[in-house]
Amino acid sequence: MRPFKHIQASTIEEAAALAAHEDVMVIAGGTDLLGTLKDECLPYYPNYLVDLKTVPGLDTIEETDTELVIGALVKLQDIADSELVKTHAQALAEACGRAASPTIRNMGTIGGNICQMHRCWYFRCPDNRFVCARKGGKECYAYKGDNRYHSILGIEGNCLAASSHDSAPALAALGATIVTTAREIPAEDFFHANGLRSNVLENGELVKEIRVPKTEKSRFEKFALRKSIDFPLVNCAVAEDADGQIHIVLGACYPSPKRMTDAEECVKAGVTEESAQAAGDAAVSKVMVLSHNEYKVEIARTLVKRTLLRLVNE
Amino acid sequence: MAQIPRREFLKAGTAALAGATLSALGLGSITASAEDGAAEKQVFVYTCPVCGKQFADFEQLRGHFTTKHKELDLPKTVTFSINEAEYDVFVEDHWTLREALIRAIGLTGNAKQMCDRGGCGSCTVLIDGKPALSCTTLAVECAGKHIETSEGIAADPEYRPLLEAYVRNDTAQCGYCTPAQFTMAKYILNKYDFAPTEEQIRLELSGNICRCGTYARHVKAIMEAAAEMKGGQ
Repeated sequence: MRPFKHIQASTIEEAAALAAHEDVMVIAGGTDLLGTLKDECLPYYPNYLVDLKTVPGLDTIEETDTELVIGALVKLQDIADSELVKTHAQALAEACGRAASPTIRNMGTIGGNICQMHRCWYFRCPDNRFVCARKGGKECYAYKGDNRYHSILGIEGNCLAASSHDSAPALAALGATIVTTAREIPAEDFFHANGLRSNVLENGELVKEIRVPKTEKSRFEKFALRKSIDFPLVNCAVAEDADGQIHIVLGACYPSPKRMTDAEECVKAGVTEESAQAAGDAAVSKVMVLSHNEYKVEIARTLVKRTLLRLVNE
Repeated sequence: MAQIPRREFLKAGTAALAGATLSALGLGSITASAEDGAAEKQVFVYTCPVCGKQFADFEQLRGHFTTKHKELDLPKTVTFSINEAEYDVFVEDHWTLREALIRAIGLTGNAKQMCDRGGCGSCTVLIDGKPALSCTTLAVECAGKHIETSEGIAADPEYRPLLEAYVRNDTAQCGYCTPAQFTMAKYILNKYDFAPTEEQIRLELSGNICRCGTYARHVKAIMEAAAEMKGGQ
């Protein structure tokens, strides 16, 4: 890695003020950031890294009557193992338990997981060799190039990368709220292909905590080529909200996790083998497949059905 | 070429502590040789990065630096607590723990560079008892935390059954990933209270890649060690 200076923040406000500077990046678990710095795949390189791990009070999971409050620095494995999360937001516990590898789950934080950059091999090519639309270039190289892991649901912000966070569809389906240093953002609106970011955060804005409404019924499923150390080809989360409405969110099919309202219509009257199948069909009824990723359509269709059936059969 | 039975080779490999070579980049490094089966005696020397003069402790080096190299700032040092010892070493802000282990301290066991991106698990160490990838952890962030490496676990008499099970089951083929898997083995034994199931071991080791395909041997070795150590707990 090229040199940078390391600063340990003592409060989140201090860290946010530092992060507003152009040559500063923040580090929590570091599992995503240090790889990008080693590869030098971004158009710029930070002069300073601000360590968030030294900020106290952001690594706890607490509950109120209606929601769970998860600090941004809680490790993925701690969420996966938490009895509170397993009981009240099972989809999130399952999603965090399937991310990356056991060791990375012990290092990576939930805040970092939702803020990780997209896993597109053009975007992340070492030495910034593809200046794609996200980096200020003119085109998305995946459109004409090798797009086997890319979006099947269309283009967002001139980008075809698939959202690769495992926790994101779970948070969106559960109707979580991302609390930052500046505002509160519903998880559904939080993820977006936005310059180098995979979310709508602005400079100097940091994730503080995540509020997840309690629900007894939620499930998550992931399909990846390997069981461990792999990003999803498709992942899917379903959750029943307080009004009994089922939310279905597909991940890794679009630059951000996408709520499948057409599929939700199909299971309004209840989840059965037939309605789950119909929901799967509806989820992939408006696909825009690229030259190499048509196979993901069948996976998405099946995963929606499988996750819905798990919701009612387990 | 004389044939060394692989088991004998492994025994020698785990007993001999890396060292002897002085790191030009670090202020200090371990210089010690194995004492035939006994726990290694570690000798840590501090080397002046400017003139190469050696000192037994860090205060002497600091004194030397402030009198002989007044014009320069003493490099930033971090106190690492690794296995049973503490080391005051010089690290750069951008060094990973893996780089610090190999460059500044001379512990090579878990400082393996394979993918260097957190994808293979070959550099796993235990930080405050939890597994962490030393290639994606910044060294400066480890100050004040307790780091355990395979050298420390291998020298711990309590974990002798684990080491022996590893040797008995021939877990090292090329041996590159073995120290990290061995470190994970200690974590697994502790996490599951010396009674892990085969499924639990496979799940926990799923972040450690082995190109030789020794996976099944690790599971067997950890199961054997657990059975043996459970009685002694």
